[in-house]
Amino acid sequence: MAANFYQQLQALLDEGLTVAVATIVNVKGSTPREVGAKMIIHPYGQHIGTVGGGCGEADVIRAGLDVLTDGQPRTVRIDLTEPIAMQSTGVCGGILDVFIERWAPDAETMESH
Amino acid sequence: MRAVLTALTTAAAQREAVALITVMSAEGEFADARRRHLVVWPDARPPVGDLTIGALQPQLLAAARQAINQRRHTQLHYQTEQGALTLFVEVQPQPYHLIIAGAGHVAVPLATMAALCDFTVTVLDDRPQYANRQRFPTAHRVIAGPFREELCKLRGNRPTFDAQTCLVLVTRGHQYDVELLLEVLDDPLAYLGMIGSRRRIRAVYELLEQERGIPRHKFDRVHAPIGLNIGAQTPAEIAVAILAEIINTVRGGAIA
Repeated sequence: MAANFYQQLQALLDEGLTVAVATIVNVKGSTPREVGAKMIIHPYGQHIGTVGGGCGEADVIRAGLDVLTDGQPRTVRIDLTEPIAMQSTGVCGGILDVFIERWAPDAETMESH
Repeated sequence: MRAVLTALTTAAAQREAVALITVMSAEGEFADARRRHLVVWPDARPPVGDLTIGALQPQLLAAARQAINQRRHTQLHYQTEQGALTLFVEVQPQPYHLIIAGAGHVAVPLATMAALCDFTVTVLDDRPQYANRQRFPTAHRVIAGPFREELCKLRGNRPTFDAQTCLVLVTRGHQYDVELLLEVLDDPLAYLGMIGSRRRIRAVYELLEQERGIPRHKFDRVHAPIGLNIGAQTPAEIAVAILAEIINTVRGGAIA
């Protein structure tokens, strides 16, 4: 999985695209995916990989699009601990921290430094 | 960025372990580290990337190498009077090497599923009509040759197999399984399993104890009969049971 992930990231950058990469860096309780799970947030919606799916992932995608816009890396906390009875898809019961940063083709990276 | 990505994809292609260090937050004296990365190898090869954190660098490299050895992603925090730094060490572990001795009915689905689970798969049999690419398209290597000789060659230039290697003994004849079992009995394999009925295996151990003087405790770590006891019947189901047992072993799962 990890192998494939960076090859896919490289292919997108080679196309000249700037993307956001989300990584689960910490989990508490029961979560749909493990620390180290990764996802590419694609500017036109062709995301790759998953950090767990559902509502939590929608929040990660929104944050990823913000990272694409302003270039500021950030860590977002996804809370899936709502009671099961509520009208919500986040019923895994855990909390995950997701770090998101922008990956750009080389030229743009050089400019932003 | 480009050098970092190339290092990661090259390591993956060569099935080598590496770690990617990413800066999650950096304040004060570390502020310049923001958005920087470093790829670290388990040995002393020079890291690749643009991340440097001054006097703490050796400590950082040591922590990353430890994470690689433990196959565990790790968050690191450094706090000084002048700043604070939070890093994520993402481990791209070396894939486990699964050697399947015996290219029969169980080996085919086992090789397929193990490749899906990111194992490097080698299939070995002394019958070329079974040990061939057409039968095992997803295996990393398929070897047709004498069992013991070829298995020994797979150790490479090391005296024993390492703890990243799993061995499944499913040859067509118990005498081959036993021959290979004796060859690797002292190797620190991550997993060692042998097919056969409970009764048959007990008889083999007794025979080896009486005729060769091999103490019974040496067989304690051998998974035999092979596979988790899930009631598997078909070759594919048996392959599921074997792979589940391997994953349970290498991941430290809950099944005793």
